[in-house]
Amino acid sequence: MIVKTAHLNLYYGSFHALKDIDLSIKENLITGIIGPSGCGKSTLLRVFNRMNDLIQGVRITGAVLIDREDIHSPICDLILLRKKVGMVFQRPNAFPLSIFDNIAYGPRIWGITDKKTLRGIVERSLAAVDLFSVLKDRLKKSALSLSAEERQRLCIARLLAVEPEILLMDEPCSALDPIATGKIEELMLVLKQKYTIIIVTHNMQQAARIADEVGFMLLGELIEFDSAKKIFTNPSDKRTFDYISGRFG
Amino acid sequence: MDRHFDEELQKVKKNLLEMASLVDESITKALEALKNRDLKMASEVKEIDHRIDRFEIAIEDQCIELIARHQPVGTDLRFLIGVIKMNNDLERMGDHAVNITGSVAFLIEQPRIKPVSNIWSMVVEVKKMLNDSVKSFMNNDAEMAQQVCERDNVVDEMRDETMRILLTYMLEQPDKIGSAIPLLLVAKNLERIADLTTNICEDVIYIAQARVIKHHAEEQK
Repeated sequence: MIVKTAHLNLYYGSFHALKDIDLSIKENLITGIIGPSGCGKSTLLRVFNRMNDLIQGVRITGAVLIDREDIHSPICDLILLRKKVGMVFQRPNAFPLSIFDNIAYGPRIWGITDKKTLRGIVERSLAAVDLFSVLKDRLKKSALSLSAEERQRLCIARLLAVEPEILLMDEPCSALDPIATGKIEELMLVLKQKYTIIIVTHNMQQAARIADEVGFMLLGELIEFDSAKKIFTNPSDKRTFDYISGRFG
Repeated sequence: MDRHFDEELQKVKKNLLEMASLVDESITKALEALKNRDLKMASEVKEIDHRIDRFEIAIEDQCIELIARHQPVGTDLRFLIGVIKMNNDLERMGDHAVNITGSVAFLIEQPRIKPVSNIWSMVVEVKKMLNDSVKSFMNNDAEMAQQVCERDNVVDEMRDETMRILLTYMLEQPDKIGSAIPLLLVAKNLERIADLTTNICEDVIYIAQARVIKHHAEEQK
Protein backbone atom coordinates (compact mmCIF):
# COMPACT_ATOMS: atom_id res chain seq x y z
CA MET A 1 0.00 0.00 0.00
CA ILE A 2 1.38 3.37 -0.97
CA VAL A 3 -1.36 5.39 0.76
CA LYS A 4 -3.21 4.33 3.87
CA THR A 5 -5.64 6.14 6.10
CA ALA A 6 -6.95 4.94 9.45
CA HIS A 7 -9.88 6.53 11.29
CA LEU A 8 -9.37 9.70 9.29
CA ASN A 9 -11.70 12.52 10.30
CA LEU A 10 -11.64 16.06 8.99
CA TYR A 11 -13.56 19.04 10.29
CA TYR A 12 -14.05 22.47 8.72
CA GLY A 13 -14.76 24.30 11.98
CA SER A 14 -17.78 22.43 13.36
CA PHE A 15 -18.62 20.76 10.03
CA HIS A 16 -17.60 17.11 9.97
CA ALA A 17 -16.46 16.71 6.35
CA LEU A 18 -14.71 13.32 6.44
CA LYS A 19 -15.96 10.63 8.77
CA ASP A 20 -13.75 7.82 9.98
CA ILE A 21 -12.22 6.96 6.63
CA ASP A 22 -10.17 3.76 6.40
CA LEU A 23 -8.63 3.44 2.98
CA SER A 24 -5.74 1.56 1.37
CA ILE A 25 -4.49 2.62 -2.05
CA LYS A 26 -2.23 0.32 -4.01
CA GLU A 27 0.80 1.34 -6.06
CA ASN A 28 0.58 1.73 -9.85
CA LEU A 29 -3.17 1.57 -9.97
CA ILE A 30 -5.76 4.19 -10.81
CA THR A 31 -8.01 4.69 -7.82
CA GLY A 32 -11.21 6.58 -8.53
CA ILE A 33 -13.18 8.42 -5.88
CA ILE A 34 -16.80 9.00 -6.86
CA GLY A 35 -19.82 10.46 -5.12
CA PRO A 36 -22.31 13.31 -5.34
CA SER A 37 -21.34 16.97 -4.89
CA GLY A 38 -20.33 17.85 -1.36
CA CYS A 39 -19.66 14.24 -0.33
CA GLY A 40 -16.05 15.05 0.60
CA LYS A 41 -14.19 13.45 -2.30
CA SER A 42 -12.09 16.53 -3.16
CA THR A 43 -11.46 17.13 0.53
CA LEU A 44 -10.18 13.57 0.81
CA LEU A 45 -7.91 14.06 -2.21
CA ARG A 46 -6.48 17.26 -0.74
CA VAL A 47 -5.61 15.39 2.47
CA PHE A 48 -2.97 13.39 0.61
CA ASN A 49 -0.70 16.37 -0.08
CA ARG A 50 -1.96 18.43 2.83
CA MET A 51 -3.58 21.06 0.65
CA ASN A 52 -6.28 21.38 3.29
CA ASP A 53 -3.65 22.95 5.58
CA LEU A 54 -4.20 26.15 3.62
CA ILE A 55 -7.84 26.34 4.73
CA GLN A 56 -8.54 28.11 7.98
CA GLY A 57 -10.21 26.15 10.76
CA VAL A 58 -9.37 22.70 9.42
CA ARG A 59 -8.82 19.98 11.99
CA ILE A 60 -7.74 16.46 11.14
CA THR A 61 -7.66 13.37 13.35
CA GLY A 62 -6.54 9.85 12.53
CA ALA A 63 -3.60 8.68 10.49
CA VAL A 64 -2.58 9.26 6.88
CA LEU A 65 0.45 7.24 5.82
CA ILE A 66 2.26 7.64 2.52
CA ASP A 67 5.06 5.13 1.97
CA ARG A 68 4.49 4.21 5.63
CA GLU A 69 5.28 7.73 6.83
CA ASP A 70 2.74 9.75 8.76
CA ILE A 71 2.25 12.91 6.69
CA HIS A 72 0.99 14.83 9.71
CA SER A 73 4.06 14.05 11.78
CA PRO A 74 6.03 17.15 12.81
CA ILE A 75 9.08 15.79 10.98
CA CYS A 76 7.24 15.47 7.66
CA ASP A 77 8.80 17.83 5.08
CA LEU A 78 5.81 19.49 3.44
CA ILE A 79 7.74 20.57 0.35
CA LEU A 80 9.07 17.06 -0.19
CA LEU A 81 5.58 15.68 0.36
CA ARG A 82 4.16 17.92 -2.36
CA LYS A 83 6.98 16.92 -4.68
CA LYS A 84 6.17 13.28 -4.09
CA VAL A 85 2.41 13.82 -4.30
CA GLY A 86 1.54 16.16 -7.17
CA MET A 87 -1.86 17.50 -8.07
CA VAL A 88 -3.72 18.21 -11.32
CA PHE A 89 -6.69 20.50 -11.04
CA GLN A 90 -10.02 20.89 -12.78
CA ARG A 91 -8.93 23.81 -14.93
CA PRO A 92 -5.65 23.44 -16.81
CA ASN A 93 -3.71 26.08 -14.89
CA ALA A 94 -0.71 26.71 -17.13
CA PHE A 95 1.53 29.52 -15.88
CA PRO A 96 1.72 32.61 -18.13
CA LEU A 97 5.21 31.55 -19.18
CA SER A 98 6.67 29.72 -22.15
CA ILE A 99 5.97 26.00 -22.57
CA PHE A 100 9.61 25.29 -21.66
CA ASP A 101 9.52 27.45 -18.52
CA ASN A 102 6.28 25.87 -17.34
CA ILE A 103 7.94 22.46 -17.28
CA ALA A 104 11.30 23.73 -16.00
CA TYR A 105 9.60 25.67 -13.18
CA GLY A 106 9.63 22.84 -10.63
CA PRO A 107 13.12 21.51 -11.36
CA ARG A 108 14.53 25.08 -11.11
CA ILE A 109 12.94 25.44 -7.66
CA TRP A 110 14.74 22.20 -6.76
CA GLY A 111 18.02 23.83 -7.77
CA ILE A 112 18.55 22.48 -11.25
CA THR A 113 20.00 25.24 -13.41
CA ASP A 114 22.10 23.40 -15.97
CA LYS A 115 20.48 24.10 -19.35
CA LYS A 116 21.25 20.71 -20.83
CA THR A 117 19.77 18.93 -17.81
CA LEU A 118 16.70 21.16 -17.88
CA ARG A 119 16.28 20.57 -21.58
CA GLY A 120 16.41 16.80 -20.98
CA ILE A 121 13.77 17.06 -18.23
CA VAL A 122 11.49 19.17 -20.44
CA GLU A 123 11.85 16.71 -23.32
CA ARG A 124 11.20 13.65 -21.17
CA SER A 125 8.25 15.21 -19.36
CA LEU A 126 6.57 16.39 -22.56
CA ALA A 127 7.26 13.05 -24.23
CA ALA A 128 5.61 11.25 -21.30
CA VAL A 129 2.37 13.07 -22.02
CA ASP A 130 2.74 12.61 -25.78
CA LEU A 131 3.30 16.32 -26.40
CA PHE A 132 6.97 16.58 -27.29
CA SER A 133 6.66 15.70 -30.96
CA VAL A 134 3.88 18.27 -31.33
CA LEU A 135 5.52 21.09 -29.37
CA LYS A 136 9.25 20.58 -29.89
CA ASP A 137 9.47 23.55 -32.27
CA ARG A 138 7.29 25.79 -30.13
CA LEU A 139 8.87 25.45 -26.70
CA LYS A 140 9.44 29.19 -26.42
CA LYS A 141 5.83 30.02 -27.21
CA SER A 142 3.45 30.95 -24.41
CA ALA A 143 1.75 27.98 -22.75
CA LEU A 144 -1.46 29.99 -22.82
CA SER A 145 -1.57 29.58 -26.61
CA LEU A 146 -2.24 25.84 -26.26
CA SER A 147 -5.65 24.18 -26.47
CA ALA A 148 -7.37 23.20 -23.21
CA GLU A 149 -6.42 19.57 -23.66
CA GLU A 150 -2.79 20.43 -24.44
CA ARG A 151 -2.67 22.72 -21.42
CA GLN A 152 -3.97 19.92 -19.20
CA ARG A 153 -1.31 17.60 -20.64
CA LEU A 154 1.26 20.34 -20.01
CA CYS A 155 0.14 20.58 -16.38
CA ILE A 156 0.60 16.82 -16.02
CA ALA A 157 4.05 17.09 -17.66
CA ARG A 158 4.90 19.89 -15.20
CA LEU A 159 4.18 17.48 -12.34
CA LEU A 160 6.23 14.70 -13.90
CA ALA A 161 9.22 17.03 -14.19
CA VAL A 162 9.74 16.89 -10.42
CA GLU A 163 9.50 13.08 -10.39
CA PRO A 164 6.49 12.46 -8.16
CA GLU A 165 5.24 9.05 -7.07
CA ILE A 166 1.57 9.86 -6.75
CA LEU A 167 -0.61 11.96 -9.04
CA LEU A 168 -3.77 13.43 -7.53
CA MET A 169 -6.29 14.44 -10.14
CA ASP A 170 -9.27 16.54 -9.15
CA GLU A 171 -11.84 16.37 -11.97
CA PRO A 172 -9.03 16.67 -14.55
CA CYS A 173 -11.37 16.40 -17.54
CA SER A 174 -14.35 18.45 -16.41
CA ALA A 175 -13.24 21.44 -18.51
CA LEU A 176 -12.53 19.32 -21.58
CA ASP A 177 -14.70 18.10 -24.46
CA PRO A 178 -15.29 14.33 -24.93
CA ILE A 179 -12.44 13.88 -27.46
CA ALA A 180 -9.93 15.64 -25.22
CA THR A 181 -11.30 13.70 -22.23
CA GLY A 182 -10.68 10.43 -24.09
CA LYS A 183 -7.08 11.45 -24.79
CA ILE A 184 -6.40 12.37 -21.16
CA GLU A 185 -7.93 9.08 -20.04
CA GLU A 186 -5.66 7.13 -22.40
CA LEU A 187 -2.73 9.11 -21.02
CA MET A 188 -3.68 8.15 -17.45
CA LEU A 189 -3.73 4.48 -18.45
CA VAL A 190 -0.17 4.85 -19.76
CA LEU A 191 1.04 6.86 -16.76
CA LYS A 192 -0.20 4.34 -14.21
CA GLN A 193 2.61 2.02 -15.26
CA LYS A 194 5.01 4.42 -13.51
CA TYR A 195 2.83 6.38 -11.11
CA THR A 196 0.02 5.84 -8.66
CA ILE A 197 -3.02 7.86 -9.69
CA ILE A 198 -5.89 8.94 -7.47
CA ILE A 199 -8.68 10.64 -9.38
CA VAL A 200 -11.76 12.38 -8.10
CA THR A 201 -14.48 12.49 -10.68
CA HIS A 202 -18.09 13.48 -10.97
CA ASN A 203 -18.25 11.44 -14.11
CA MET A 204 -18.74 7.89 -12.91
CA GLN A 205 -18.47 6.55 -16.47
CA GLN A 206 -14.95 7.91 -16.41
CA ALA A 207 -14.20 6.05 -13.18
CA ALA A 208 -15.75 2.93 -14.70
CA ARG A 209 -13.58 3.22 -17.81
CA ILE A 210 -10.21 3.86 -16.28
CA ALA A 211 -10.12 3.09 -12.55
CA ASP A 212 -8.81 -0.19 -11.17
CA GLU A 213 -10.31 0.43 -7.76
CA VAL A 214 -13.13 2.75 -6.81
CA GLY A 215 -14.33 4.33 -3.59
CA PHE A 216 -17.88 5.64 -3.30
CA MET A 217 -18.39 8.49 -0.84
CA LEU A 218 -21.58 9.92 0.59
CA LEU A 219 -21.97 12.68 3.19
CA GLY A 220 -18.33 12.40 4.25
CA GLU A 221 -18.34 8.63 4.62
CA LEU A 222 -16.54 6.10 2.47
CA ILE A 223 -19.49 3.82 1.80
CA GLU A 224 -17.73 1.22 -0.30
CA PHE A 225 -14.25 0.61 -1.67
CA ASP A 226 -13.59 -2.23 -4.09
CA SER A 227 -12.38 -3.17 -7.56
CA ALA A 228 -14.04 -1.16 -10.34
CA LYS A 229 -15.41 -4.40 -11.71
CA LYS A 230 -17.17 -5.21 -8.43
CA ILE A 231 -18.44 -1.67 -7.90
CA PHE A 232 -19.91 -1.41 -11.41
CA THR A 233 -21.29 -4.93 -11.77
CA ASN A 234 -22.27 -5.95 -8.26
CA PRO A 235 -21.80 -3.29 -5.56
CA SER A 236 -22.23 -4.48 -1.99
CA ASP A 237 -24.06 -1.44 -0.67
CA LYS A 238 -27.49 -0.39 -1.93
CA ARG A 239 -26.47 3.29 -1.72
CA THR A 240 -23.61 2.63 -4.15
CA PHE A 241 -25.97 0.89 -6.54
CA ASP A 242 -28.51 3.73 -6.28
CA TYR A 243 -25.78 6.25 -7.12
CA ILE A 244 -24.15 4.42 -10.01
CA SER A 245 -27.53 3.60 -11.53
CA GLY A 246 -28.52 7.28 -11.45
CA ARG A 247 -31.23 6.89 -8.81
CA PHE A 248 -29.77 9.80 -6.90
CA GLY A 249 -26.88 12.23 -7.06
CA MET B 1 -2.73 6.78 -28.99
CA ASP B 2 -4.68 3.50 -29.39
CA ARG B 3 -7.79 3.07 -27.30
CA HIS B 4 -7.16 0.94 -24.23
CA PHE B 5 -10.69 -0.40 -24.76
CA ASP B 6 -9.64 -1.83 -28.16
CA GLU B 7 -6.98 -3.90 -26.42
CA GLU B 8 -9.65 -5.25 -24.07
CA LEU B 9 -11.86 -6.18 -27.05
CA GLN B 10 -8.90 -7.97 -28.66
CA LYS B 11 -8.42 -10.01 -25.47
CA VAL B 12 -12.07 -11.09 -25.66
CA LYS B 13 -11.65 -12.04 -29.31
CA LYS B 14 -8.49 -14.03 -28.54
CA ASN B 15 -10.26 -15.96 -25.77
CA LEU B 16 -13.21 -16.78 -28.02
CA LEU B 17 -10.88 -18.04 -30.74
CA GLU B 18 -9.04 -20.24 -28.22
CA MET B 19 -12.38 -21.59 -27.04
CA ALA B 20 -13.43 -22.31 -30.65
CA SER B 21 -10.20 -24.21 -31.20
CA LEU B 22 -10.96 -26.38 -28.13
CA VAL B 23 -14.46 -27.03 -29.46
CA ASP B 24 -12.97 -28.14 -32.78
CA GLU B 25 -10.58 -30.45 -30.92
CA SER B 26 -13.41 -31.92 -28.83
CA ILE B 27 -15.55 -32.69 -31.89
CA THR B 28 -12.60 -34.32 -33.68
CA LYS B 29 -11.75 -36.46 -30.65
CA ALA B 30 -15.38 -37.37 -30.01
CA LEU B 31 -15.71 -38.76 -33.53
CA GLU B 32 -12.38 -40.59 -33.34
CA ALA B 33 -13.50 -42.12 -30.05
CA LEU B 34 -16.69 -43.23 -31.76
CA LYS B 35 -14.95 -44.61 -34.82
CA ASN B 36 -12.34 -46.54 -32.80
CA ARG B 37 -14.63 -47.30 -29.82
CA ASP B 38 -11.95 -45.69 -27.66
CA LEU B 39 -13.12 -44.99 -24.09
CA LYS B 40 -9.88 -43.21 -23.15
CA MET B 41 -10.37 -40.69 -25.90
CA ALA B 42 -14.02 -40.31 -24.89
CA SER B 43 -12.91 -39.30 -21.41
CA GLU B 44 -10.47 -36.78 -22.95
CA VAL B 45 -13.46 -35.13 -24.61
CA LYS B 46 -15.06 -34.67 -21.18
CA GLU B 47 -11.85 -33.06 -19.92
CA ILE B 48 -11.83 -30.66 -22.87
CA ASP B 49 -15.48 -29.86 -22.16
CA HIS B 50 -14.56 -28.74 -18.63
CA ARG B 51 -12.02 -26.35 -20.16
CA ILE B 52 -14.62 -25.09 -22.62
CA ASP B 53 -17.01 -24.46 -19.71
CA ARG B 54 -14.35 -22.44 -17.90
CA PHE B 55 -13.77 -20.37 -21.05
CA GLU B 56 -17.51 -19.73 -21.30
CA ILE B 57 -17.67 -18.33 -17.78
CA ALA B 58 -14.52 -16.23 -18.24
CA ILE B 59 -15.64 -14.74 -21.58
CA GLU B 60 -19.11 -13.93 -20.27
CA ASP B 61 -17.52 -12.28 -17.26
CA GLN B 62 -15.19 -10.22 -19.49
CA CYS B 63 -18.10 -9.06 -21.67
CA ILE B 64 -20.29 -8.09 -18.71
CA GLU B 65 -17.43 -6.12 -17.18
CA LEU B 66 -16.69 -4.29 -20.44
CA ILE B 67 -20.36 -3.42 -20.99
CA ALA B 68 -20.74 -2.19 -17.41
CA ARG B 69 -17.54 -0.15 -17.43
CA HIS B 70 -17.36 1.20 -20.98
CA GLN B 71 -20.97 1.57 -22.09
CA PRO B 72 -19.98 0.52 -25.63
CA VAL B 73 -21.97 1.70 -28.64
CA GLY B 74 -22.13 0.84 -32.35
CA THR B 75 -19.76 -1.88 -33.56
CA ASP B 76 -18.24 -2.30 -30.09
CA LEU B 77 -21.65 -3.01 -28.57
CA ARG B 78 -22.61 -5.37 -31.39
CA PHE B 79 -19.27 -7.15 -31.00
CA LEU B 80 -19.79 -7.80 -27.28
CA ILE B 81 -23.42 -8.86 -27.66
CA GLY B 82 -22.41 -11.12 -30.58
CA VAL B 83 -19.58 -12.65 -28.54
CA ILE B 84 -21.91 -13.41 -25.61
CA LYS B 85 -24.18 -15.32 -27.99
CA MET B 86 -21.35 -17.13 -29.81
CA ASN B 87 -19.84 -18.05 -26.46
CA ASN B 88 -23.07 -19.78 -25.55
CA ASP B 89 -23.24 -21.53 -28.94
CA LEU B 90 -19.66 -22.81 -28.67
CA GLU B 91 -20.30 -24.15 -25.19
CA ARG B 92 -23.36 -26.03 -26.48
CA MET B 93 -21.20 -27.52 -29.28
CA GLY B 94 -18.84 -28.85 -26.59
CA ASP B 95 -21.85 -30.51 -24.93
CA HIS B 96 -22.85 -32.12 -28.23
CA ALA B 97 -19.32 -33.52 -28.58
CA VAL B 98 -19.72 -35.07 -25.10
CA ASN B 99 -23.13 -36.45 -26.16
CA ILE B 100 -21.47 -38.15 -29.10
CA THR B 101 -18.96 -39.86 -26.81
CA GLY B 102 -21.90 -41.03 -24.67
CA SER B 103 -22.55 -43.67 -27.31
CA VAL B 104 -19.03 -45.11 -27.18
CA ALA B 105 -19.40 -47.21 -24.00
CA PHE B 106 -22.68 -48.57 -25.29
CA LEU B 107 -21.30 -49.39 -28.74
CA ILE B 108 -18.39 -51.44 -27.29
CA GLU B 109 -20.94 -54.04 -26.23
CA GLN B 110 -22.57 -54.10 -29.66
CA PRO B 111 -21.50 -55.82 -32.90
CA ARG B 112 -19.97 -53.56 -35.51
CA ILE B 113 -22.33 -52.68 -38.30
CA LYS B 114 -21.64 -51.75 -41.88
CA PRO B 115 -20.05 -48.27 -41.73
CA VAL B 116 -22.47 -45.49 -42.51
CA SER B 117 -20.43 -43.40 -44.89
CA ASN B 118 -22.93 -40.56 -44.70
CA ILE B 119 -22.07 -39.88 -41.06
CA TRP B 120 -18.42 -39.42 -41.92
CA SER B 121 -19.34 -37.12 -44.80
CA MET B 122 -21.45 -35.14 -42.34
CA VAL B 123 -18.48 -34.91 -40.00
CA VAL B 124 -16.32 -33.45 -42.77
CA GLU B 125 -18.97 -30.89 -43.72
CA VAL B 126 -19.79 -29.86 -40.13
CA LYS B 127 -16.13 -29.41 -39.23
CA LYS B 128 -15.60 -27.31 -42.33
CA MET B 129 -18.61 -25.17 -41.41
CA LEU B 130 -17.23 -24.68 -37.91
CA ASN B 131 -13.78 -23.73 -39.19
CA ASP B 132 -15.21 -21.30 -41.74
CA SER B 133 -17.52 -19.71 -39.17
CA VAL B 134 -14.54 -19.13 -36.89
CA LYS B 135 -12.55 -17.70 -39.81
CA SER B 136 -15.42 -15.36 -40.69
CA PHE B 137 -15.48 -14.13 -37.08
CA MET B 138 -11.71 -13.73 -37.01
CA ASN B 139 -11.74 -11.66 -40.21
CA ASN B 140 -15.08 -9.94 -39.61
CA ASP B 141 -16.11 -11.37 -42.97
CA ALA B 142 -19.89 -11.19 -43.43
CA GLU B 143 -19.76 -12.62 -46.95
CA MET B 144 -18.03 -15.79 -45.80
CA ALA B 145 -20.46 -16.06 -42.87
CA GLN B 146 -23.39 -15.84 -45.29
CA GLN B 147 -21.95 -18.69 -47.38
CA VAL B 148 -21.59 -20.90 -44.29
CA CYS B 149 -25.25 -20.26 -43.35
CA GLU B 150 -26.33 -21.46 -46.78
CA ARG B 151 -24.45 -24.73 -46.28
CA ASP B 152 -26.65 -25.67 -43.31
CA ASN B 153 -29.23 -27.11 -45.71
CA VAL B 154 -26.62 -29.53 -47.05
CA VAL B 155 -26.06 -30.90 -43.54
CA ASP B 156 -29.81 -31.14 -42.94
CA GLU B 157 -30.14 -33.21 -46.11
CA MET B 158 -27.24 -35.42 -45.05
CA ARG B 159 -28.89 -35.95 -41.67
CA ASP B 160 -32.21 -36.93 -43.33
CA GLU B 161 -30.44 -39.31 -45.65
CA THR B 162 -28.50 -40.89 -42.78
CA MET B 163 -31.76 -41.33 -40.86
CA ARG B 164 -33.35 -43.04 -43.87
CA ILE B 165 -30.39 -45.39 -44.33
CA LEU B 166 -30.26 -46.30 -40.66
CA LEU B 167 -34.01 -46.84 -40.38
CA THR B 168 -33.99 -49.13 -43.39
CA TYR B 169 -31.00 -50.95 -41.92
CA MET B 170 -32.83 -51.45 -38.60
CA LEU B 171 -35.96 -52.70 -40.34
CA GLU B 172 -33.94 -55.18 -42.32
CA GLN B 173 -31.78 -56.31 -39.38
CA PRO B 174 -33.61 -55.78 -36.08
CA ASP B 175 -30.81 -57.54 -34.17
CA LYS B 176 -28.53 -54.60 -35.06
CA ILE B 177 -30.87 -51.90 -33.69
CA GLY B 178 -28.60 -51.52 -30.62
CA SER B 179 -25.71 -50.61 -32.92
CA ALA B 180 -27.70 -48.32 -35.17
CA ILE B 181 -29.52 -46.14 -32.63
CA PRO B 182 -26.34 -44.51 -31.28
CA LEU B 183 -25.48 -43.53 -34.85
CA LEU B 184 -28.88 -41.89 -35.22
CA LEU B 185 -28.06 -39.83 -32.14
CA VAL B 186 -24.64 -38.95 -33.56
CA ALA B 187 -26.28 -37.66 -36.74
CA LYS B 188 -28.69 -35.60 -34.65
CA ASN B 189 -25.81 -34.12 -32.61
CA LEU B 190 -23.84 -33.29 -35.75
CA GLU B 191 -26.86 -31.57 -37.24
CA ARG B 192 -27.26 -29.49 -34.04
CA ILE B 193 -23.56 -28.50 -34.21
CA ALA B 194 -24.16 -27.29 -37.78
CA ASP B 195 -27.18 -25.26 -36.56
CA LEU B 196 -25.06 -23.65 -33.85
CA THR B 197 -22.38 -22.88 -36.44
CA THR B 198 -25.06 -21.10 -38.44
CA ASN B 199 -25.97 -19.08 -35.32
CA ILE B 200 -22.32 -18.00 -35.05
CA CYS B 201 -22.35 -16.83 -38.66
CA GLU B 202 -25.57 -14.88 -38.09
CA ASP B 203 -23.82 -13.11 -35.23
CA VAL B 204 -20.78 -12.39 -37.43
CA ILE B 205 -23.10 -10.72 -39.97
CA TYR B 206 -24.76 -8.76 -37.15
CA ILE B 207 -21.38 -7.58 -35.85
CA ALA B 208 -20.01 -6.67 -39.29
CA GLN B 209 -23.08 -5.14 -40.92
CA ALA B 210 -25.71 -4.64 -38.16
CA ARG B 211 -28.03 -6.92 -40.18
CA VAL B 212 -30.29 -9.45 -38.47
CA ILE B 213 -30.73 -12.40 -40.82
CA LYS B 214 -32.02 -15.01 -38.38
CA HIS B 215 -35.65 -16.12 -38.66
CA HIS B 216 -35.73 -14.47 -42.11
CA ALA B 217 -36.04 -11.14 -40.30
CA GLU B 218 -34.98 -9.12 -43.36
CA GLU B 219 -37.53 -10.76 -45.66
CA GLN B 220 -40.33 -10.01 -43.19
CA LYS B 221 -39.55 -6.29 -43.13
